[in-house]
Amino acid sequence: MPIRQKVFFLTIALLLLVAIIELIRRRRLRVEYSWLWIASGVTIIVLILRYELLIQITAAVGAVVPTSTIFFFCILYLALLSLNYSVRLTELTRQVKELAQEVALLRAEAAPSRPAARAAADSPPAC
Amino acid sequence: MSTSLPVLIVIPAWNEAANLAAVVTELRASRPHDEIAIVDDGSLDATSEEARRLGCVLLRLPLHLGYGVAVQTGIKYALRAGHRIVVTFDGDGQHDPAEVEALVAAVREGADVAVGSRFLSAESYRGGPSRRTGRWVFSQLAGALTGIRLTDPTSGLKALGPRAQSLFASSRFPDRFPDADALVLARRARLAIVERPACMRRSQNRHSMHGGYRAVAYTFNMLLSLLVAASGRESDLRG
Repeated sequence: MPIRQKVFFLTIALLLLVAIIELIRRRRLRVEYSWLWIASGVTIIVLILRYELLIQITAAVGAVVPTSTIFFFCILYLALLSLNYSVRLTELTRQVKELAQEVALLRAEAAPSRPAARAAADSPPAC
Repeated sequence: MSTSLPVLIVIPAWNEAANLAAVVTELRASRPHDEIAIVDDGSLDATSEEARRLGCVLLRLPLHLGYGVAVQTGIKYALRAGHRIVVTFDGDGQHDPAEVEALVAAVREGADVAVGSRFLSAESYRGGPSRRTGRWVFSQLAGALTGIRLTDPTSGLKALGPRAQSLFASSRFPDRFPDADALVLARRARLAIVERPACMRRSQNRHSMHGGYRAVAYTFNMLLSLLVAASGRESDLRG
């Protein structure tokens, strides 16, 4: 890998890592979600510094050029990531539902419309 | 039975302010001893005010979460308050209060779920050809999956006993569109399901759940949901 490419990609990978760490530091990204992002950044750096590793992986999976190995794993990674987001969204949807139902039930407890209704029912019916 | 709380009629309502007064008045006239709970499913109109004015129990969801979630909210309320029988009733005037008694009686006689069926009734509005076909397909599928014969698995008019309430309040309840899949779930939990004839009317002011492009998505989701309801360990369902 030419030195110019190495410097360019290393800079991008380092900027990515700095951005991730900064997001965690400012509490914009939860720690439990961030290990994946840090792992991604580190993987990129490792592959840049040890290019022969990528060539070995390419040979191992039977690909012809290292570029296709990179693209394949990138796409696979993104697909798994969105699947993971779907799972989290499902969980969040369930939590929102439970909370909304709890709000409705607590509201009914806090301001019961029933006693008033019973009182109204005792007097001549309005309807 | 006489010492327990009255039957709770749960009416899920989304922007039904215009219809509620008529529905509640008619229900009260025919069933004066039942309690009515209106679940306001994040309406933008005066549904909540209307429910309060009519003296119903008001369960107001802060967001619009759909029919299934609204129904489940009513069931959760019933469980906490201790109503032994819950009737789910549509807020659009589609259901006839006169049909409630047969369902309640069925639950009192030991059924866990009693479904009001348009198809056991002599004269009833049954929807257009596409809905009939869909209902027939789901009814056949539910039958194949569980061995129950139901003529109207998408009916919203149901009476639920305590065991059905517990099951439908759990996270296993298919809260997106609880139709045939909810009944398959109930069947797998070994609940007793019966059908009673119920006359249904064409509703006036209706935002249909199954119309237009949604019909395709609904069909697909229902097929999936049926399979989900029919799968999983049965031991999780009992308790």
